[in-house]
Amino acid sequence: MLELRKVHFAYKNQSHVIHDVSLTVTPGEFLAIVGRNGSGKTTLTRLIMSLIKPLRGDILFQGNIIPHCTPAKMAHHIGYVFQNPDRQIFHDTVTAEASYGPKQLGYTPEQTATFVNDALAVTGLSELANAYPLTLSKNQKQRLTIASALAMQPKMLILDEPTSGQDARQRDQLLQLLIKLNKQGTTILLVTHDMDLLSACAHRAIVMAKGHKVFDGTVAELFQDVLQLNNWGLTEPAALKISRQLAAVDVKPTTSISELSHHVATLFRRG
Amino acid sequence: MFTIAPLTKLILTVFVTIWAILLQSIPALTLLITCQIIILVSTRVDIIVYKGIASLFIFAALLAGMQYLINHDTILAVVTASKMIAMTLVFFILLATTRMQDLSAALVLQCHVPYEYAFMLTAALRFIPDLLAESKAIQEAQACRGYSPQGNLIRRFFSYMAIIKPLVLKAVTRSETMALSLELRGFGNRKVRSFGNKITLNARDYALLICMVTLTSYLIIHIN
Repeated sequence: MLELRKVHFAYKNQSHVIHDVSLTVTPGEFLAIVGRNGSGKTTLTRLIMSLIKPLRGDILFQGNIIPHCTPAKMAHHIGYVFQNPDRQIFHDTVTAEASYGPKQLGYTPEQTATFVNDALAVTGLSELANAYPLTLSKNQKQRLTIASALAMQPKMLILDEPTSGQDARQRDQLLQLLIKLNKQGTTILLVTHDMDLLSACAHRAIVMAKGHKVFDGTVAELFQDVLQLNNWGLTEPAALKISRQLAAVDVKPTTSISELSHHVATLFRRG
Repeated sequence: MFTIAPLTKLILTVFVTIWAILLQSIPALTLLITCQIIILVSTRVDIIVYKGIASLFIFAALLAGMQYLINHDTILAVVTASKMIAMTLVFFILLATTRMQDLSAALVLQCHVPYEYAFMLTAALRFIPDLLAESKAIQEAQACRGYSPQGNLIRRFFSYMAIIKPLVLKAVTRSETMALSLELRGFGNRKVRSFGNKITLNARDYALLICMVTLTSYLIIHIN
């Protein structure tokens, strides 16, 4: 679906921020990009959206070279959800806000209405369809930006730090939504620092460090070497840390909180 | 220009404005504009200043076009646009070569402007680069939703609302947060303020001031 071939990029008057990165994203995948601040995660997604052009290398989406595209053309295929929802919300109602994208892409009013209703239903915002977007909570605004992206019927969704500034309950709601969307067939590329979020939903992880891709593998593989993980500036998910410390009492290492609580409960029942 | 006292540059902006008003011929205004551009080039200002000047020239050309459509007078249109360029360029010189803290100190200590007002001015100027960065980020966010201004001017203007509205809301929120944070840190409680900035006028500043006054007097006498 998406392929990066030895992509190289540098901002003006700065050292290179992306060094020869190659990767492939297959349809239906849930991929997470992690790494320290300034490691090149967001730059990589900006390159994919054609917001910036690579200095070297090719980016292909469904076989077509992206650098020949504009972000507006890419919006036909990829929905991009920015970290700060306030940067895009400007309409008076939730429905109008979600309708902006499909209208820009040239869908008919009937198609727009159908896509927007579906997107609001999926993101749980149908009841707020006529609400003033700026009065929504951070989580609701974030869901609105996801709905706005979904209403454009993208094949792939890129989310940049979608859980920043959200409490645990809101984070869980967003997590469930992302899992649901992925199960419905949307390819998801998630940029995050949240290792619990990554372990709960991603199939595959890519670690970026100083502009290089230093890891590309399954989530289970990522958490095998804790020392290496720490070197990349990452931490283990809380569940994995606790379960590893409880290994002496027969608790299997797990990244899932529910699995860990099940193990611990079994342990207590056994006495 | 960087070593000239902020007060001298403030006075220069006033004088250049007066000269731009007094001068009515295209060659004289061109000379004034050229001198200002030479000053900017010789001070090696940042590339972003030149981008700003390029936008100023485009805006001036539009203004001249509108003036011509209304009066059908080419000379009047060019003079009006040149006056606007001359008056605005001097502010580019002032802002590109003066630190905000020095400007604020000059306004308070030498021009006796109340500190609150001087702070308001410098804070507003400090907002400009932030707003430009924010505007770029908003444009990118909307581009990812299919925003691509096309069509005639009116259509482009309405489509630009997708950028303007979030930008204004963000600016209002930012200024509210800043006002609140200033209040919470006791802004305005100190009646007497001290500044560590070196803003005193030296011999070169006085020489420049004499030149400015002489030139203005000559222009007034010559025009009368």
